[in-house]
Amino acid sequence: MVKENVSGISKAVALVIVAIVIAAAGISFGVYMATTTQQVTTTVTVTPTTTITSPTKPPIKNPDTIIEATIGEPETLDPAWAYDTASGEVIFNIYETLIFFDREKLDQFIPLIAKEVPSVENGLIKDNGLTIIFPIRDGIKTHDGGMITPEDVEYSFERAMIQERDGGPVWMLLEPLLGVETLVDLGNLSDPDDAARIGEMIDKAVEIEGGNVVFHLEKPFPTTTFFQILSQTWSSIIDKECAIKHGAWPGNKDNWANVFAKYHNPEVPELQEADCGSGPFMLEKWEHGKEVSLVRFNDYWRGPAKVERAIIKKVDEWSTRKLMFLQGDADIVYVPRQYIKELEGAEGIRYVTNLPQIAIDALFFTFEVDPNSPYIGSGKLDGKGIPPDFFSDVNVRKAFAYAFDWKTYIEQAWMGEAEQIPGPVPKGLPFYNPDQPKYEFDLAKSEEYFKKAWNGEVWEKGFYIEILYNVGNIPRKIAAEILKENIESLNPKFKIYIRGVEWPTYLRAMVRGQLPIFIIGWLADYPDPHNFVHPFMHSSGAFAAWQKYSNPHVDELIEKGITETDSAKRREIYYELQAIYYEDVPSVVLQQPLGRHYERDWVQGWYYNPIYPGIYFYALSKGYE
Amino acid sequence: MVIPTLLGISLLIFGVTQLFDPIERASLYIRDPRQIRFVEEIIKKYGLDQPFYVQYFGWLSQVLQGNLGWSQSLHMPVLEALITRFPATAELVLYSAPLTIVLGIFLGKISAVKKDTVIDHVTRVMAIVGWSLPAFWLGIILMAVFYGGFGIFPPGRLSPWAEAMIRSGKFKAYTGLYTIDAILNLNGDVFIDALSHLVLPVITLTTINVALIMRVMRSSMLEQLGKTYIIAARARGLDSKTVIDKHATKNALIPVVTISGLLTAGMLSGMVITETVFEFKGVGYFAAHAATQLDIPAVLGFALFAGLIFVIANLIVDILYAYIDPRIRLR
Repeated sequence: MVKENVSGISKAVALVIVAIVIAAAGISFGVYMATTTQQVTTTVTVTPTTTITSPTKPPIKNPDTIIEATIGEPETLDPAWAYDTASGEVIFNIYETLIFFDREKLDQFIPLIAKEVPSVENGLIKDNGLTIIFPIRDGIKTHDGGMITPEDVEYSFERAMIQERDGGPVWMLLEPLLGVETLVDLGNLSDPDDAARIGEMIDKAVEIEGGNVVFHLEKPFPTTTFFQILSQTWSSIIDKECAIKHGAWPGNKDNWANVFAKYHNPEVPELQEADCGSGPFMLEKWEHGKEVSLVRFNDYWRGPAKVERAIIKKVDEWSTRKLMFLQGDADIVYVPRQYIKELEGAEGIRYVTNLPQIAIDALFFTFEVDPNSPYIGSGKLDGKGIPPDFFSDVNVRKAFAYAFDWKTYIEQAWMGEAEQIPGPVPKGLPFYNPDQPKYEFDLAKSEEYFKKAWNGEVWEKGFYIEILYNVGNIPRKIAAEILKENIESLNPKFKIYIRGVEWPTYLRAMVRGQLPIFIIGWLADYPDPHNFVHPFMHSSGAFAAWQKYSNPHVDELIEKGITETDSAKRREIYYELQAIYYEDVPSVVLQQPLGRHYERDWVQGWYYNPIYPGIYFYALSKGYE
Repeated sequence: MVIPTLLGISLLIFGVTQLFDPIERASLYIRDPRQIRFVEEIIKKYGLDQPFYVQYFGWLSQVLQGNLGWSQSLHMPVLEALITRFPATAELVLYSAPLTIVLGIFLGKISAVKKDTVIDHVTRVMAIVGWSLPAFWLGIILMAVFYGGFGIFPPGRLSPWAEAMIRSGKFKAYTGLYTIDAILNLNGDVFIDALSHLVLPVITLTTINVALIMRVMRSSMLEQLGKTYIIAARARGLDSKTVIDKHATKNALIPVVTISGLLTAGMLSGMVITETVFEFKGVGYFAAHAATQLDIPAVLGFALFAGLIFVIANLIVDILYAYIDPRIRLR
């Protein structure tokens, strides 16, 4: 009886398996049929996966849509708030700026919302560069159905300065226009008198004169640098009416204390998910954590984009991203460096290598560590720790610099796709000094400086320190390991412990000044050396302040460099700063990376500008050459 | 029970997060080195240095007003994140949970009936292998074979053309479950497309979870088959099919219902790895993403959501008990 029953069960199993196979085959066949049928007959816009075919090349998938598969996700779509590249990528496709970079060039510009790029020759730069006039182009339609006017331009900059969130990008506008890095430096925003004075300064900084918008700079500022700032997302021009509809500052200037109370440093920006732009693409949908879909703006003043849609997909898992790319379901893909070999020899793809990035990683020495730091051992120079001011001795810093093996590091951590540069000014920026000497891996010299350090006590007694890195950052881990291995090989009394911690822990230790050495990177805001020497060398700079590195002459030079408009004099200043960096060794630049770009071979029109936050879809099309 | 359970969960999670230093919790807002110098302002702005009870009751009062807070890691309100992401998870569960349960019961039953035979051994080994396979590995292998090799069953929930169709206004999203919406819209193309995207994640989930149901069913069935009422039934001359199907199986299902309820609730509150590998981003993916960034409002919101799911699942299990076992109903 049981046997019969089981026989029935076996039949049922067989039937289930057959059913599953038939269902799977049916689905596959259905997909195939849907695809091939649409290929031949469908004419509606939202359809086929394959409409273009080639006798020799595979058919192009989604021919009207560019799909980028990457890892980042925008933080916001509010241009005044956005300071990350993922947000910037969306914003610079849906908004426009007064002027924009001329394709690959970092120091040449084309007019967009402005009719002309100002110059002394065309009379639009006056008063030794303190007055800059932008005539505004007529007839630019916005996505919300309005037109861009000089009032929108004035509003965009004033709103950005009013919003000025903590840790946002607006300091770049405040520096040339108001002469400060933050509004708080000008007074108390909740005090009615201070607020009125600051509000008036904002009002006067950008003004309308007929069809022009005039910028009044607070202090001399290199024009090219100012234009680089104006060409980026934080300087996007917003449709004022649209912004007000979304709850942004209504433009009133009667009670500045109230304005600041309501619109300064908000918890969530008003244009968080809004599209108040006039750029070549409109926001179709932002599905958080999944994708941002942009659709072509057919009334775009330079003519509609060549593709109907651009989709930025967040695909965290590399295997999935790779398969999507190889199957042609993604046109452009982000490839982590450790996986580049997996795509070698793949058909139907194209990649460009050795793209210089305007970014550097460096190893920073803290001149005065928190005495309670758990990462300095005993806190004394007794072989079991280091004193808090261990790195205040330049000999120690030089000894560490000579102990670093760049060749091994670049090969292991960057697969050879990075360069060693002498100082904080990246290669490719103006005033980079190619002849500036740089540290080379030399253990004999390292030993020599260790013997000099602390009057010979370091060599005699030895030391123990901990180097932290944030887990997941392989290059930083490798850099720490190289340093450890080389330094410990010099003297058995030298001990370095490497500890991987999560980013929150790393941040806490860094903010509290507990890290004797920290490794961190810097990505350019704008392609000018000031954007690098300030954080790396100025006593109030982002990194130098944590390190407690202070050199009054350096501070003076940096401040002079950003107010000097004469190129030759700027060159002298930045060359001198690079020389001082070499002598002072406040930090050691580990590398300037070289990037890669991967795309399907049917993607046309891409070009590289290292300051772009991502892909500029307006330049792209799909088709075989 | 619902309210004390949810309050307990929220207190526990909130308490644990307070073990982190305010600077560590502020790291959520610092994505770039240049923002580090604003850490003190950020701590003040978000009240991260306030006493525990001030922060907790501040959050609770917002929750009571229907506001679960803002998720900095997701860049959207927590409630909206749950509402928009849940359909993806629900759609996966809609197909994988019934398949897992039915297959598990079936295999458990056959294994028990054919105890110590080749079929029993093969079924058990296969189930254990499935249970042991890492979801991550299995997902990638399946995708490499079917999607990478044959170009079928792609990742994500829909193809770009189908997504565009849904956004075009010609398609009405009633539930957010694309297969169901496609049926309601009478759109066969979108249905097939959505289904083809579901095949691999559903196979992965079923393969991994079926062993649990199968093992419970097998042991429960063996227990029932050894009981005197089964022997008595056979002695009375009832055929084996009737004894197994009508008597033993029904009684053996009671523990399976409990496990199935918990399994389904667990799946509904997120399947991080499967959702990540197959780009099927539901609540699990978002919960994990938020947790790794110490996004406390989001973590709390998801915890409340998961707690609610489990409470409801328990309620359903209790009702099913009463249906399966009349003694419970009588009590």
